Amino acid sequence: MATRDSLSPFETAPRDRLRYLRQALSRRLPNAGEGIVGYLFLLPALTLFGVFLAFPILYTFYLSFFRFQGVSDETLLWIDTGLFTYELTSIAELQFVGLQNYVTLLSDGLFHQALFNTTFILVVQVPLMVVLALLFAVALDASFVRFKGIFRTVLALPVSANLVAYATVFLLMMQDAGLVNYLLRSVGLPAIPWLTSSFWSRMTIVGAVTWRWTGYNMIILLAGLQNVPQQLYEAAEIDGANRWEKFRYVTVPQLRPVLLFVFVTSTIGTFKLFSEPVIINGGGAPLDSTITIVQYIYQTAFVNFRLGYASALTYVLIAVVSVLSIVQLRIGGANSA
Amino acid sequence: MREETRREAVWQFLTYAFVLLGAVVTLVPLYWIVVASTLKESEFLSSTAPRLLPGDSFLSNFQALQARDNVQFVGHPGEMTQYIEIGPLYVAYDVWHLWDLGAMGSSVFVAVVYTLLSLVLCSMAGFAFAKYEFRFKQPLFYAILATLILPIQLLVIPLFLLMAQLDLTNSYWAIILPWAANPLGIFLMRQNMQSIPDALLESARMDGATEFQLYYKIALPTMKSSLAALAIILFLFQWNLFLFPLVVLEQGKYTIPVAINQLVGAQRVYYDQIMVAATLSIVPIFLLFLVLQKQFVSGILAGSVKE
Repeated sequence: MATRDSLSPFETAPRDRLRYLRQALSRRLPNAGEGIVGYLFLLPALTLFGVFLAFPILYTFYLSFFRFQGVSDETLLWIDTGLFTYELTSIAELQFVGLQNYVTLLSDGLFHQALFNTTFILVVQVPLMVVLALLFAVALDASFVRFKGIFRTVLALPVSANLVAYATVFLLMMQDAGLVNYLLRSVGLPAIPWLTSSFWSRMTIVGAVTWRWTGYNMIILLAGLQNVPQQLYEAAEIDGANRWEKFRYVTVPQLRPVLLFVFVTSTIGTFKLFSEPVIINGGGAPLDSTITIVQYIYQTAFVNFRLGYASALTYVLIAVVSVLSIVQLRIGGANSA
Repeated sequence: MREETRREAVWQFLTYAFVLLGAVVTLVPLYWIVVASTLKESEFLSSTAPRLLPGDSFLSNFQALQARDNVQFVGHPGEMTQYIEIGPLYVAYDVWHLWDLGAMGSSVFVAVVYTLLSLVLCSMAGFAFAKYEFRFKQPLFYAILATLILPIQLLVIPLFLLMAQLDLTNSYWAIILPWAANPLGIFLMRQNMQSIPDALLESARMDGATEFQLYYKIALPTMKSSLAALAIILFLFQWNLFLFPLVVLEQGKYTIPVAINQLVGAQRVYYDQIMVAATLSIVPIFLLFLVLQKQFVSGILAGSVKE
């Protein structure tokens, strides 16, 4: 029988279900040897996956119910086989506190500030970037535009910029005596305190992130545009649709799954924001107005060494991002189907 | 009709203006990184009249950057203290100290090793999931699929404790191993390898190929373009990692992001030196992007297509 590609065999009719089960059984029994080959190919990846991914996921959750009191190497298990000895030590010294970490974060002002800052950046930055990316994609998709390749290359160039390195140039350009204020002054506008006012420092982050990711999203949208059937535009033209109507009633609905995908991934990206605020605004300056959630987790865990509490924060963030990712997978599924 | 062509012309002009403006805004920060690295700080940080054209201070800025004692940005020959004497030859055996990698070298080294290791692991795992039957195949695959929704860079707290326990802190392995079995990579490889015809593998088996040869001689060569796209995804993932390297690496092993963070966080921030560092770390990847644009684009698209 051919290998089944479907992830879940149980979407089939009951009769097929029975046949599938029978085949699965008969496939498993005679070829016991083949099963081992599969495992051998899987073994290296599975080992690392278990140790460095599955374990940390569970251990973060476990930690979130404890207060961290220090690293420890207390022996938990000692096996001496004569040939070799095996020692399992505990990782950390912990004190069980139940749900206290989760209760604390409900009334943690700085966490709320971080949540607010992240949401603020999200609400301004994501729509701005998606609209820009869409406009660039549509413009570069237009048949009359020449030098498409060059424009696309230039707009996508920031994709390859190191996340931390590019942030430094925004730090430089946005100084009071920096390039942007010089340009503003030379056209007669007042200088803006890009890094010292809490509103404008968030806007600086918005600008930097938009610069870095617009081209990336443009590439995804451009690929989506290429899948819009040309006949739809022709039909709309016959119906007398103008440019705006074609965009509104053909392009946008056809791109909907891709647009949603871009929205959701950008939202997830904002929740993970770390490099830009750290480099551009130091530790969330001015007055914690740019501190993001991940930055707060970093400070809590590795500056204040409250690892248990930081784990609880991480899990709240993971919950948010997971829900968003599930939405994203749904959209992706609708997209490919 | 003339009215219509005129409107069309205006429209085309506006479109060009928009795209051109976008291109300029995209290029200004890049231009400024490179130009500022060739100027003295007082020349570009000036509210009255910054110099907008390249100068000739790049080398002196670079030397100042290299002279800093908290960050080694570009590598240099190390002290070859460990020799074995074989007849008339002195052979250095402590290869690690032949060359101090510096932040640039560390980042390149880590990203290349990570990419290669992860390509091998992901393609092997993908091959197993695509072409073999074994017990718990579905649950295992679902477990890996489930971690796709997690931001794996965020698991720093247990990873830090784990690395401390394994004595891997301040080792490059600490930032290579945790994501070497990249769930997205395994998933993409499995999806692509399902297109390899079973008949092809079967006939190779008849000809006496071992199972490993099926992977190495048939599966891998047919997956070249997928592997290239995945390599870009993996390389950029590692290249941009900041949080965990910041937590786990110590002076002497810094990667570019951590080194730049040290420069920015210093008591006196020398922007000219930072711009040299930024230029050195950004420009090579830009050139690589220009050469491998197709692979970059297919990498971005592959990463955005989750079933």
